[in-house]
Amino acid sequence: MTKPNLTDEQLVSVIRESDKELYGEIIRRYQEKLSHYLRKFIRNPDELEDVLQEVFIKAYKNLYGFNIDKKFSPWIYRIAHNEAINSIKKLSNQHLSLDEQEWEIVDKKMDILEKVSSKMEREAVEKQLFVLKNKYREPLILYFFEQKTYEEISDILHMPVNTIGTLISRGKKRLRDKLDKKYDIRK
Amino acid sequence: MTLENSPIEQKVMAEINSGRVRLRSKYIYLAEKLGFASVFIFTVLLAVLFFCLVLFYLKTSDNLNYLSFGSCGLLAFFESFPYLLVITFVLLVFIAGFIMKKMEISYKKPFSYLALGLAGVVILFGSALAFTDVADHIEEVAYQGHPAGRLFKPFFRGGLDERNRGLAGRVLAIEGKQMAIQTPRVVKIINVSRIENKVLNTIYPNMFILAIGEMKKGVFLVEKIKLIDPEEIPMTLRGIDRQFSGQTPPVNFPF
Repeated sequence: MTKPNLTDEQLVSVIRESDKELYGEIIRRYQEKLSHYLRKFIRNPDELEDVLQEVFIKAYKNLYGFNIDKKFSPWIYRIAHNEAINSIKKLSNQHLSLDEQEWEIVDKKMDILEKVSSKMEREAVEKQLFVLKNKYREPLILYFFEQKTYEEISDILHMPVNTIGTLISRGKKRLRDKLDKKYDIRK
Repeated sequence: MTLENSPIEQKVMAEINSGRVRLRSKYIYLAEKLGFASVFIFTVLLAVLFFCLVLFYLKTSDNLNYLSFGSCGLLAFFESFPYLLVITFVLLVFIAGFIMKKMEISYKKPFSYLALGLAGVVILFGSALAFTDVADHIEEVAYQGHPAGRLFKPFFRGGLDERNRGLAGRVLAIEGKQMAIQTPRVVKIINVSRIENKVLNTIYPNMFILAIGEMKKGVFLVEKIKLIDPEEIPMTLRGIDRQFSGQTPPVNFPF
């Protein structure tokens, strides 16, 4: 089996037992995804790079802590999540901004506003999304922007699947209410 | 941007190849898992044992019997309640719950379900254990001076201590409105002047009584008294036997 054909879990198994060089493949597979996720918490590119590097180093050190019978993706996302939270605690002046693809998700899937078009509306959504309590923001980001399933989010955030569903729906409602109250942006 | 030679990959792989970043040994994880599981099982077993001891205390001491006096017996009930046992039991359940919450699989179900399940298991097995003679054995060992048994001694002390609001023991002698009662600690002189004669006339030496009242100027003034089968308060009975080694001490009535 060539390394592109190996699943993440198989790769981890080989890295642990014999070939640490293959860890580069894990980095290649996850660098962009994790970078995309971390950008929702950390805007500063240098800070983001430092955190991402720390995520990969921590993941490598703890590879034996990963249960090979489970999926690797939620495991490494959980490390990234914890690092992001630690980083947020250190830096309070962060702010979130979404790219064009993500605005489409906000318009089509999140159902917060009918269409977020003006600059002011976009800034309002970004600001409110960022100031939303962590417990709502994290599942919202993972579900809508990282396209994770409830099951995967449950594994990343270590919460029951039902709770994830509740937090996503409450998070959306809170976001909508905040936008209604503060900015008078209505459907 | 090509990810083939991304700076992050280069930096991370350089750290790994230099040996500065190494895999933590799989035995550390194994030890962590085993340690967690052992502490959890040990805590649950202790919680089960303490629940059994709480039931044992309630069943064998005078504590619950004070409630037979109605609301008047509440103070004696609270005074003789096994606080230390109950607090230790609750603490153990909390510690077991905390460890369970930290376990990798526990997040899949709401914690309230798991906590209820844990409490259910502890109560079920604790109740089942109460049907065996484990608690009797622990009490016996505790008072034999066995090093491990001595750890349990403070938990039973509440069942044998002197009380200000209640009293249980064997009648040694009766003189006028005074009675000498052999309790697990001392021979106590009690004043029964508030008790009707028709009740007092049914009480004779060697019988066991349960009384509620209050301490006034060093004398226990009885408000209510009743005869009790010593089999209903075996902890008290054993306490008296241990304290006096089956001897009947001399009685001196002060008045």
